[in-house]
Amino acid sequence: MASFKKIGIVFILVSGVLSCNKTPDITPDMLDGTVLIDSSLLFPEKYLVSYSNPTPTSTEASKPVFLTAHGYSGSTFEWNEFRSWSSGTDQYFISQVLLGGHGRTYNDFKAASWHDWQSSIKEEYERLLAAGYTNINLVGSSTSCTLMLEMVASGYFSDKLPPANILLVDPIVIPSSKILSLIGVLGPVLGYVDSGLNPDEKPYWYSYRPEETLRQLQDIINVVRKDLEKGVVLPANTRVKVYKSKKDPTADPVSAVLIYKGLETYSGNKIELEMVDSELHVYTRLKLREKVTDKDVANQTATFEDFVARANPQVVHN
Amino acid sequence: MDIGVRLQKTVNLYMENGVAARYSSPQLMYDKLYFGFTYFTSRLGTAWGTNAIKQDNILLSASYYIRKDKIIRPFAGVNVGYFHASYEYKIFRDLDNQSVMLSPEFGINIDAPVPFKANVSFGYNLITGNGVNGAGTLYPLYVQTTLLWRVLRK
Repeated sequence: MASFKKIGIVFILVSGVLSCNKTPDITPDMLDGTVLIDSSLLFPEKYLVSYSNPTPTSTEASKPVFLTAHGYSGSTFEWNEFRSWSSGTDQYFISQVLLGGHGRTYNDFKAASWHDWQSSIKEEYERLLAAGYTNINLVGSSTSCTLMLEMVASGYFSDKLPPANILLVDPIVIPSSKILSLIGVLGPVLGYVDSGLNPDEKPYWYSYRPEETLRQLQDIINVVRKDLEKGVVLPANTRVKVYKSKKDPTADPVSAVLIYKGLETYSGNKIELEMVDSELHVYTRLKLREKVTDKDVANQTATFEDFVARANPQVVHN
Repeated sequence: MDIGVRLQKTVNLYMENGVAARYSSPQLMYDKLYFGFTYFTSRLGTAWGTNAIKQDNILLSASYYIRKDKIIRPFAGVNVGYFHASYEYKIFRDLDNQSVMLSPEFGINIDAPVPFKANVSFGYNLITGNGVNGAGTLYPLYVQTTLLWRVLRK
């Protein structure tokens, strides 16, 4: 009987090790592979204002800078449409941040923690401050919103000039797929999860999500949810607006409820929030979607216009 | 008939606590088949004095216990019920905030020679929100402990 128990234990251990070592079938057309890489790593001056204009004039330094960051397993592609929509303007700058650990190989992604993801936002923010920019506006989508909320909750801005606005598109505090809550149990068995991308999306998002990264996602979600339960106060002179799709297959719309209840302005008022009539996750990214309606385009345009108006009420976008 | 208090933790979400009662009929598999009623809420858990969502759960259950007259009695059951979450602000009026509940539950009942029994189990909500439909803070896996006192004997 004892030997059967030993065999069983060995079997479980071996199964565990094998399942942890599961590696997906990665092809060269995927971001996960060793061929494709996020362009911002090769040409940071095309994406980051701290590289393209590290010594702004006093006029430039006072113009709004939108520091955009993308969601879990995504890339700078997620905010390309805001840049193209803004092309030709000299009224504001856009700095597209690639989250740490992202835009590289599957193994690089697998090895990164949410602290690594967040570090890119902090580094660009600090470079912009050091360069003298004074009107910095954080723009997040999905998980980067969660990372930005953690920066507020942990007091990151307490010893530095805080952002003028924090604009959050489809933030995630509650995932739509509740299976994520079981990742601690299921993760070692699964090894990774297929993202279910269409072929055109594969160069810009990871096709496979390592269970280690899903644990990190669950971790940061829990951290921020608990922060919000206790209450988070914004820095003085920082405004927040949340834009949340009413139906969202990735970030449950109830995430907006938790943020609205848990986050307040420095003077104790409610933040601004808009429930958007959309069924898309990160409805501000429309390219490569299989189906885009007129309403989706209108939602995207309205939100981009709102960003600009909030960052500098004097700017009129043409 | 037993009455008691239920302490529940949903995995990666809230503590929700409440009250429970169960009854076994002398005419129907006495002390093996139990019918139960449970009310538990985050108001008495994580949402107490915090910004967590206030949500209420009502369950009706049927459970079958084995090892009659033993101290440790494994059981399996099924719960059906109703879930409601309060989002408090009109801006969220379009979001689903209620749901039918359906969950299998498995655990053990500890009937030690003390004035109360302990019922420890885990369950799995088969109906959860998915971001498009359903209540967003109805999560699948939970563990619970119910402390029960016998108030009526056959």
